[in-house]
Amino acid sequence: MTAQLAERPAAVSGGRAPARARRFTRHRAVMLLFIAPALIVYVLMVIAPSVQSIQLSLTNWDGINPAYDYVGLANYRDILTSDRFWNATRNTLILGLGSAVIVNAIALGVALLLDKLHHAQGFFRTIVYLPALVSGFIAATIWKYMLNFNFGAVNTILRDLGFDDAAMDWLGDNEIVVGVLLFIICFTLGGNTALIYLANLQSVPQDLVEAAKIDGASRGQVFRYVTWPMLAGAVTVNMTLMMIAGWTIFDQVMVLTAGGPGFVSETMAFFIYKVGFGEYRAGYGSAAAIVLFIVVMATTVLANRYMRSREVQA
Amino acid sequence: MSESKRRKEKRRLTPGEVVVMAVLSVLVLAVSFPVLYALLNSFRSYAEITKDPMGLPTGLSFENYARLFQTTDYGEALVNTLVITVGTLVLLIAIVPMAAWGIERIGGRSSRWIYLLFIAGLMIPFQVRMIPLVSSMNQIGLYSTLTSVILVHLGGAASFGILLYCSFIKGVPREVEEAAEVDGAGRLRTFWSIVFPMLLPVTSAFVIIQALSLWNDFFIPLVFLDSSSAGTINVALSRMVGLLTSQWELIYTGAILAIVPSVILFAAFQRYFIKGMSIGAVKG
Repeated sequence: MTAQLAERPAAVSGGRAPARARRFTRHRAVMLLFIAPALIVYVLMVIAPSVQSIQLSLTNWDGINPAYDYVGLANYRDILTSDRFWNATRNTLILGLGSAVIVNAIALGVALLLDKLHHAQGFFRTIVYLPALVSGFIAATIWKYMLNFNFGAVNTILRDLGFDDAAMDWLGDNEIVVGVLLFIICFTLGGNTALIYLANLQSVPQDLVEAAKIDGASRGQVFRYVTWPMLAGAVTVNMTLMMIAGWTIFDQVMVLTAGGPGFVSETMAFFIYKVGFGEYRAGYGSAAAIVLFIVVMATTVLANRYMRSREVQA
Repeated sequence: MSESKRRKEKRRLTPGEVVVMAVLSVLVLAVSFPVLYALLNSFRSYAEITKDPMGLPTGLSFENYARLFQTTDYGEALVNTLVITVGTLVLLIAIVPMAAWGIERIGGRSSRWIYLLFIAGLMIPFQVRMIPLVSSMNQIGLYSTLTSVILVHLGGAASFGILLYCSFIKGVPREVEEAAEVDGAGRLRTFWSIVFPMLLPVTSAFVIIQALSLWNDFFIPLVFLDSSSAGTINVALSRMVGLLTSQWELIYTGAILAIVPSVILFAAFQRYFIKGMSIGAVKG
């Protein structure tokens, strides 16, 4: 395919060899000019700072003072032996992976319900999508006030119903705060994801479903052996995307708890932000960011490999 | 397609379907509860909210909306958010489709390498580049300007854009472009007048996805805009959460106003939305 692309301009020009070569390089030079603006911005804004992060991660830079020393791998050693970091990692796993699994399950359920509708499906598709227009940040901001101990909606409802003991300091209690965060992140119908699943459900050939039914398959069996394998591609994409996004969960934590009480509800992204800017340990923060990068890269590669192998099987 | 086929079958409304509709409606209402709650409370005063948290507004008073603009930086933040969103979108459309076309048409090994370099960015979380970027922006005097936020967004969105456009351009026939070139059109003109219009489906999807995520972004403006700027809507709101502990009604009002543009965008481009959301994902 690529070889074909390369040969084509040469073939068009025909003629003598030098002319052909000149035409070929000119074509590539012009195409490079087309790529240049995006490439320059991308290299300056993504690649260069990422590489610089690796360098900074080997220093004790505070983020302000121009002078700093190289400390080797000391930052990495400190991070990997720090309880605070492992707590943040654990929270990230609970919130990121947990929400990826739960939201995908909710979205799939909603898509299956939508697929059952033969009337007004368009209308219901629209209203199911609507909540997805509210960003995680805005939702978290509203929740912060709804969860207020004295005047919040949640505790008010509980007290009105007579469950005075159930009214809690939702965001200030070490034991439950991460669970509350998970609940708020998963309090969605997974709008985008649900619609992607619906599109995939509708492309499942009805003949296959009918054939399975004639062969005596139960509803559960049809789903397990016909529908589910056909969804594997969409599940791969959605789970991978959500897990990658999950590693960098930040907005909800920043708004609702700011990592508190203490460091209890910190996530990796919040930890890096706090250490790098709040505690003036830019070198240390950079090292944590590199650890995050390695984890994200590993997740992407592994998730893709695992799910693709399953897809082929199906 | 399958939808119209099903409709032709002219089935009656079954009890099962009614149950499904009821379940979906309840789910949507439940999930929308926080937003509905904030909307109702944006019409109430602080005293009313704290006295009876579950009470309903007594009238349709827009006093909170007026006060939000008079007593806080919200108006300026709204303009900032608009400048960042529109500015980033325009620049993205100016450079990304062109680059994707160049990558697909340059041919040979360089095509593959440049593509992979861009795609690698999908695996680089913003946190990895954040600390060096802040110090560089400080050095060149761009820190806490909207320009810095736009530039950082551009780099972040380029990878996804290249992925989306390249996969689409693979299916665009070459013959039309070649005909235009034989007719003597320069490559730049060929691109903008022949190729770009053919990319419209992917452009509409890209613009909608990016518009939403730019409008809703919190982390990047939080890091790059300090208190010398009014910030974006989300940054302004988060500052208000810290400062206005006794003005809940303004926070609710601000939250509702932040959602309005997304809803308008959705209402106007509903068709593209739902198509756009699946364009990226079904293919992958």
